[in-house]
Amino acid sequence: MQSHPPIVALVRDTGDNRLRKLLTDEVPGIVTVVVGPHLSLSLEKLLMTGQSPRLVIVSGRLYPAERPELVSLVRRVIPGAEFLVVSAAEDKPPVLHQLGVDRVRHLVISPAAGDTADAARGQLGHAVKNLTEGTPWTAVDYLKEGTKVHEFPLCRSDEKEAIIAAVAGLIDGDSDETELFRQKVALLTDEMLENALYAAPRTPEGEQLYRKGEQRPVSREEQIVFRFGFDGETVAMEATDGWGSLRPETVIQHLAKNQTLAGDVGETGGRGIFIIWQFLEQLYISICPGRRTVVGGHVRRSSPTDLEVPRGFHIVTTACCI
Amino acid sequence: METAFRVTSGRGTSCDLFSFHGNIDAQAEHLLKELPSRISRPVVRFDFGSTGRINSMGIALLLRCFKLIKEQKKAEIELVALNPMNAILFKMTGVFLLAKQVP
Repeated sequence: MQSHPPIVALVRDTGDNRLRKLLTDEVPGIVTVVVGPHLSLSLEKLLMTGQSPRLVIVSGRLYPAERPELVSLVRRVIPGAEFLVVSAAEDKPPVLHQLGVDRVRHLVISPAAGDTADAARGQLGHAVKNLTEGTPWTAVDYLKEGTKVHEFPLCRSDEKEAIIAAVAGLIDGDSDETELFRQKVALLTDEMLENALYAAPRTPEGEQLYRKGEQRPVSREEQIVFRFGFDGETVAMEATDGWGSLRPETVIQHLAKNQTLAGDVGETGGRGIFIIWQFLEQLYISICPGRRTVVGGHVRRSSPTDLEVPRGFHIVTTACCI
Repeated sequence: METAFRVTSGRGTSCDLFSFHGNIDAQAEHLLKELPSRISRPVVRFDFGSTGRINSMGIALLLRCFKLIKEQKKAEIELVALNPMNAILFKMTGVFLLAKQVP
């Protein structure tokens, strides 16, 4: 059996009991370190045992608000580690600027106390598994086993409306809640396709090739494909393009900027990806530079629409495409 | 609900009235660009009761349009008949910083 380097969790001494329980339940063998004034000393002791953590989980109650220097401090001691921030659903959304500065690419929202849905629970364990095994996120991860995943390769930009209608048409029911869910899913589909059709195609200098809304053919080389599935509770969806032009730091910049500059009427880039992030429960982006980008995630019927509830993301860069 | 964007106008007793029909996206650019020049009263009311989906490009165009109305016409902007989805979207993207929702 393959053994993985240990996973370290950095928690607060008080107020992090629920996170500690979640970590114990979902991440077997995790080493928990209570962050005090001598954090470097604790980490150096850990390294002296010959174990270099591959993944460091950081409590959102510590970072970025309370201890903004935490990640850079730990990175000095454990330079090769990946960082995952876990923020509680009932806490204020973390301000993303610091995550951008520290190149933190993973944020999981731990479920609210009463949220027992499978798609909400288990996200931490799932993220840890993917990060330690190097497995990419996919739409099917969030659907009940056996759910059909529909796939639409695009040949023309004007196929967008038909795809939106197909996705929205999967959701039956006519209650107000169902209608809101249907509209949410339609907008997410619209934004993901707009991103693949108009934001992804770039010149080598980074200039956008097509104007938003421009009717255009989609060549086979662009490999724009939309996939989605609905298991009765959760819609999972992803748009793939063959450009691979998105950069992780740009994504975090867009999310951070739109998080703090709502109402800015300048040519603020990234409003589309910000909207996708806000309406999904968990956003994932997988980038193979110059070859492929996948933007996806899931949303549940019962996902909160309250904008104060934070949303998670995973942004990974892969060296080669599968 | 119709998807192609169009604008119909009317005149209330004390304000300019416009209704937005269909989806608001890149196709709405021309109509939203010329809209500020049609404002003549100190209050302008936009009816979203027949509006469908508004995407990020639509939000950018609305923000630009509303900003011009406030700066050039010094008019107050009121929004009526927003569905819950578009109200969430406007809150998320700061549209309500330029225009207020009225019953």
